[in-house]
Amino acid sequence: MTGKIKKMIDEIVEKRSKGNAALVPFVRAKLIMKGINCDKYTMTSEDDPVVIKKLEEIAKELS
Amino acid sequence: MKLKSVYSTKSSADEVVSDISSQLKGFTAKVLIFFASSKFESSIGKKMQDEFRGVTVFGCTTAGEISSGRMIKNSVVAMALGPEIVSDVQVSILENIKGGVNAKSAFKSFENHFKIPVRQMDISNYIGMVLIDGLSGKEEDIMNQIGNLTDITFIGGSAGDDLKFKETRVYYGGKSYTNAALLALFQVKNGFDIIKTQSFKVLDKKLVVTKADEATRQVIEFDGKPAAQAYAAAVGTTVAEAPNHFMHNPVGLIIGDEPYVRSPQRLDDRRIAFYCHIPEDMEVSLLESTNIVDDTKEALAKAESIGPIAGIINFHCILRTLELEQKMQTEAYGNLFTGIPTIGFSTYGEEYIGHINQTSTMLVFR
Repeated sequence: MTGKIKKMIDEIVEKRSKGNAALVPFVRAKLIMKGINCDKYTMTSEDDPVVIKKLEEIAKELS
Repeated sequence: MKLKSVYSTKSSADEVVSDISSQLKGFTAKVLIFFASSKFESSIGKKMQDEFRGVTVFGCTTAGEISSGRMIKNSVVAMALGPEIVSDVQVSILENIKGGVNAKSAFKSFENHFKIPVRQMDISNYIGMVLIDGLSGKEEDIMNQIGNLTDITFIGGSAGDDLKFKETRVYYGGKSYTNAALLALFQVKNGFDIIKTQSFKVLDKKLVVTKADEATRQVIEFDGKPAAQAYAAAVGTTVAEAPNHFMHNPVGLIIGDEPYVRSPQRLDDRRIAFYCHIPEDMEVSLLESTNIVDDTKEALAKAESIGPIAGIINFHCILRTLELEQKMQTEAYGNLFTGIPTIGFSTYGEEYIGHINQTSTMLVFR
């Protein structure tokens, strides 16, 4: 399966930025600092369970 | 006057405090921030607070100081902020950070003080400052937690000790703390801006961290090869010569178009120890140094083009200071701030979104 990581990243960014476009680059920067290379993932990226678990934890931290 | 920056090169803490006090005579300060050489005994924190009763006084030790128009050593620089700049402020100390960081207590105190949930604070009216024990190795944890808890910008630096690497301190409310971090949240009147400037060109050579020990800030492997070997190959040198390139060729996480610099500190056998951690799977680009004075001049001009600057607090990496000294450019760098009320210090790391190196993070009051 592919694309789950990109979807999760987009969801985290959307939720945390609350529709404020100015916040989007900061949320993406926070993800990068946490070790998620946002630009690397596309809808064709494999669903790597390690990255998915990491994103689940980050989503909790940022919620 | 909205704010005033002063400095003193007197030799004892008593003389310094008295000198600063006389320079600030007649100024109504709400907040007094000071950065003091580590040569002064820790009681300077109490002496400053005792002198400025009723004022929120905080600061930290340094590895060199910056004031309007000059870079100094063995001094104390101070900035008094008036109520026209800062409507309100709350400071919180995180203690025993080496044993674990929990920033929630600080944010609880901010909410109690400002009587509004932190998540509801207008991020254009609030700005945070963070001063961290520069020998704690806890900057990443602290910035990560701050980033989780708020969207308010927190900017700052890691306290220094004049390159002795023995003890750094933060000061607040008359007390001196080691193994601690200070978080200050300002409600500002006329807005602010952030300058983040580093003097590097991003080269077209990338390295991916395939194995790292985040706790010790070591990269074990880049691209599946021993880190030292991969870095040396990227620079075009031998492993033995690689440390001679560390200052000129650090690496950077590229976010947007901006590098967030990670500076190599030393070789540990075939590993590279950095001044901040780089998580596994991160792609970093090799950087090449450019001219700090020219780049800072450009960054200041850009900030001035947006509107008048009331004052600047500059968190300036000690590695940049060492480079400026090496190139005999400290005077030229100091001169860039002539005419702008400025204080700053040479840090053991800079804070903005995360923990970064070889950068100046500046808080610009409008």
